[in-house]
Amino acid sequence: MGTTVLDAPPNMAALFARAALTARGRGGDLPDTRLARTGVTVEPGSLADYARVCRFPLSDTLPATYPHMLTFPLQMALMSDRAFPLALPGLVHVRNRIDAVRPIGSGETLDLEVWAERFASHRSGATVDLCASVSAGGAEVWRSRSTYLARGAKAPAGAPDSDVTVDVGDLGHPVATWRIPDDAGRRYAKVSGDVNPIHLSGLTAKAFGFKRAIAHGMWVKARVLAAVENRLPEAFTVDVGFRKPLFLPSTVTLATAATGGGWDAAVRNAKSGTEHLLATVRPL
Amino acid sequence: MASNSKPATRKAAIVGGNRIPFARSNSTYGQASNQDMLTATIDGLVARFGLQGEQVGEVVAGAVLKHARDFNLTRESVLGSRLDASTPAYDVQQACGTGLEAAILVANKIALGQIESGIAGGVDTTSDAPLAVGDDLRRILISLNSAKTLQDRLKAIARIRPGMIAPEIPRNAEPRTGLAMGEHAQLTAHEWEIGREEQDELTVRSHQNMAAAYERGFFDDLVTPFLGLTRDQNLRPDSSLEKLAKLKPVFGRALPDGAEGTMTAGNSTPLTDGASAVLLASDEWAAEQGLPVLAHLVDAQTAAVDYVHGGEGLLMAPVYAVPKMLARNGLTLQDFDFYEIHEAFASTVLATMKAWEDPAYCKEKLGLDAPLGSIDRSKLNVYGSSLAAGHPFAATGGRIVASLAKTLHQAGPGKRGLISICAAGGQGVVAILES
Amino acid sequence: MADWYTNFANSGFGTTITKQLGLPRPAVLRRYEPGQPLLPGPVVIGSAGQGRLRDTVSAVLKDAGVTVLSPVTADGSTDGEKLGAVVLDATGLSSPGDLASAHDFLAPAIKRLRPSGRVLILADPPQAADSPAQAAARQAIDGLVRSIGKELLNGSTANAVYVPEGAEASVASPLKFFLSGRSAYVDGQLLTLSPADVPTGEDAEKPLAGKVAVVTGAARGIGAAIAQVMARDGAHVVAVDIPAAGDSLAKVANEIGGTALQLDITASDAPQRLVEHLRERHHAGVGPGVDIVVHNAGITRDKLLVNMDAARWNSVMAVNLQAQLDITQALLDDGDVLNDGARIVCVSSQSGIAGNRGQTNYAASKAGVIGMVRAWAPQFAERNATINAVAPGFIITEMTAKMPLGTREVGSRINSLQQGGLPVDVAETIAWLSQPGSAGVNGQTVRVCGQSMLGA
Repeated sequence: MGTTVLDAPPNMAALFARAALTARGRGGDLPDTRLARTGVTVEPGSLADYARVCRFPLSDTLPATYPHMLTFPLQMALMSDRAFPLALPGLVHVRNRIDAVRPIGSGETLDLEVWAERFASHRSGATVDLCASVSAGGAEVWRSRSTYLARGAKAPAGAPDSDVTVDVGDLGHPVATWRIPDDAGRRYAKVSGDVNPIHLSGLTAKAFGFKRAIAHGMWVKARVLAAVENRLPEAFTVDVGFRKPLFLPSTVTLATAATGGGWDAAVRNAKSGTEHLLATVRPL
Repeated sequence: MASNSKPATRKAAIVGGNRIPFARSNSTYGQASNQDMLTATIDGLVARFGLQGEQVGEVVAGAVLKHARDFNLTRESVLGSRLDASTPAYDVQQACGTGLEAAILVANKIALGQIESGIAGGVDTTSDAPLAVGDDLRRILISLNSAKTLQDRLKAIARIRPGMIAPEIPRNAEPRTGLAMGEHAQLTAHEWEIGREEQDELTVRSHQNMAAAYERGFFDDLVTPFLGLTRDQNLRPDSSLEKLAKLKPVFGRALPDGAEGTMTAGNSTPLTDGASAVLLASDEWAAEQGLPVLAHLVDAQTAAVDYVHGGEGLLMAPVYAVPKMLARNGLTLQDFDFYEIHEAFASTVLATMKAWEDPAYCKEKLGLDAPLGSIDRSKLNVYGSSLAAGHPFAATGGRIVASLAKTLHQAGPGKRGLISICAAGGQGVVAILES
Repeated sequence: MADWYTNFANSGFGTTITKQLGLPRPAVLRRYEPGQPLLPGPVVIGSAGQGRLRDTVSAVLKDAGVTVLSPVTADGSTDGEKLGAVVLDATGLSSPGDLASAHDFLAPAIKRLRPSGRVLILADPPQAADSPAQAAARQAIDGLVRSIGKELLNGSTANAVYVPEGAEASVASPLKFFLSGRSAYVDGQLLTLSPADVPTGEDAEKPLAGKVAVVTGAARGIGAAIAQVMARDGAHVVAVDIPAAGDSLAKVANEIGGTALQLDITASDAPQRLVEHLRERHHAGVGPGVDIVVHNAGITRDKLLVNMDAARWNSVMAVNLQAQLDITQALLDDGDVLNDGARIVCVSSQSGIAGNRGQTNYAASKAGVIGMVRAWAPQFAERNATINAVAPGFIITEMTAKMPLGTREVGSRINSLQQGGLPVDVAETIAWLSQPGSAGVNGQTVRVCGQSMLGA
């Protein structure tokens, strides 16, 4: 296992380009490479932009989904590397779990580390978990696990079964309706750097086989968290399963239920009821 | 009062009120601003009670939809009115509860002896509503304004895209739920199984009661015409169940699968423009001025509910506020001669009454041993309410306080009236008046 | 003001034109303004007959700051000063022969009258004469004064006051009114006084100070002018009009520091509601009570009688006459509201005296008003109160502005002053009748018509 420490966040657009160009001919097992950055600080302007786009109140602690903004570029670098067995275009984010170990001050200096693990078999392909750990002063304060599905791919022999299911209880009628405009993907791309073409426009999404642009899963997750932001435990796990794509524009509803000191939540299409996201929040 | 220090609390008197007829949105008052309407309303009150050049203790009013330039709306209106320019004023805002809350604030200062008289009011226009530029354009304009160099300015201007030009229109929707108030009310109506027909019946009665009140001259000393309008524009004296039955439900969007909406443009209040004002005073001040005391504001209470995650209906807060106020005053729900339940929607009034009648709800949600019980419908909204008059958000409280005070006065001494007003944000403001 | 022709005829160019064309040249009338002296020039007082009022008149006028000159001699050779007014004390006439001295006095004096000058004749009422000769002499004053009114030029007026025995104390108020600018458009009138307990010591600038006055129809036109003049003279005005006129009403009330009361006076409960309102705000027991009520509200619904429907007839009767009766009765019945010494002034109309084509309903109602005040006067006198009517002639208002030009011009010129009156002229007359000092004027109808040829 080797850890590479980067001096600066990698250029995401370049990573997407590299990943697309080198998509063919990948295979084999997961690399045990780890990518890291140290002494990372949050730029206040970026945090404000993120908070506005995701509807978090601007405060001096980071939204629980925010460290993902810091670790995601490293994960991208990992996945776009030739050594990564699955082709980045076509990977679908199906589950994301975040452990917010403690609130992180916006002024804290953070160390980041990302890696891939758990190459697993899924009924329609294979999944892989991209993990991240954020620490401050030597102690871990945040970690995440993003599960990606590669349709048609095959996990190595003896791989475990994928676990992509997030279950929620009875949620009752919706508590909120969100009208999601067609530029939601572009807005989130701007603050997150996730410029995956499937989120940016109908045209670019079509090139990747989607009928319309789709919303970033992590943005929907962030909005769910923002909706209960003032009623969260001090330390918690927020685990979401991404279900059907949320096409832009859409009107969706949020349903919530307070459960076990945390929350169950679902985001569904307001008309058809199609499930886009199921979430659980539990105290850690 | 034996002591010569601070006076013991006293009950504030309601001397009278004034309002302009309420107009449907984008109609007669289309060109009138909040300040125009509030000033005209205060001037009408001044004329009714001979307050020209008088300094009243304080003028408290507000608007729900407010332009940035109206940061000092009430004070500016006072300066434009016939009142003494040295009359202090301040703005309040508690959504549809603004008008009643303003009256409570004035009454409290009178009760504490801090002022001897005051005017409480409210105004709203949905015709001259404050349009905001979209967030993106607004940010660019702000940076343009603070740019120091030509280059910075050009840079800011270059960021403007045609799509940003479309203005943001204020919506009658709850920011946290994205649902229109009507959609919330429809959810509540569905939950409480409030039928279409009973809503329409309540609506017809509101129109008929108000039309009859106009006919018998009840509003002669409560309303002053404005811009050629002499009666509330929304009032339909010929309203009937048959006509209302023809209207399509409009707020059913958020209902669970298969459920059909029961709320229509008829049994919901339309967007309205208007203003109201109430003159309150100590009994002594009223006597010195030779002015009548119609009623006293005995007590008031606010409450709020968690309609976002708490599973309670957006407009159900008055249901919680009333029992608290009743308990404090040793009264039951039946101890009133008149009830004024603001008709934001017909279903709101019906759900409110149904909740008070429901033993399980009263026990679980309100923590009561027994339900508050039912009220005599013949004492409810006897001169019509918002369904007939319309509902310029902040102006409704003043309309109700003045009309109820007059009704109590006419009914004789010792009569008691209950006011219940629901407000956006899951709030409720309630009060007791007594003649 | 609103009379374009008077303005034009008095402009430099207009004077030339109207002179050459022989058109009437109406004068700009001297109208009252606060602080104005009673008269712009001296007064000369003459007498015909015994003249029992001369000293009273002289004292009143001197007290009002007017220079009183001795009578002009027959050859007109006293000092050459122009006169503000000529007053003839014609009381004590015993036969027509006594009138010769009236002629001797008036002819030279009137020659020296200033513009907007005043001729006032005081006489005994003909009804109370001892002999036919005395009655003839007294009645002759009627023809004399009306004719002088028609001969006078430059906005001057002639009026007469009949002063019965015992009513001498009542003279001061009408005397001052007829000589002042307040009576600018009152011309050719014969007023009969009655004996009364006349209060004195009234503030000349604020004769209505401390009084509460109710004025109906106060939202606009003549009613608004009445409210304004009442307030100017010191009264607190309760301005009443229909609810639909409430915004104009509020403006009037706010301008004059009064209060607005929106009330449809024809509603069945209107008298009771008005009384209740006044009780609440102006209860005589606790507050000042009500001193003055001006029944001004009126409507027209013109149509030839043969084409007139019941609605037109009934609505005009209801507003113009029945409401005045009902409200006055309600005020009398309620012991608490109306002060002793109250003044009721009812607005009648020239149409009620002369009749008018297309106005059978209106004229009937307005004539009814004249009968009403005459009948009620004795009852009012018992409480030292008065009730009178004022009958406006052609008054320039928003209403007349809508008339066709021809009708309007003819209407406004067929009077001795050759012009229409202004709402303020009616208001001044009503305010005068409302003064405490006008106690001796009761049951009268005073025309404010510039000595209109109609109905005279």
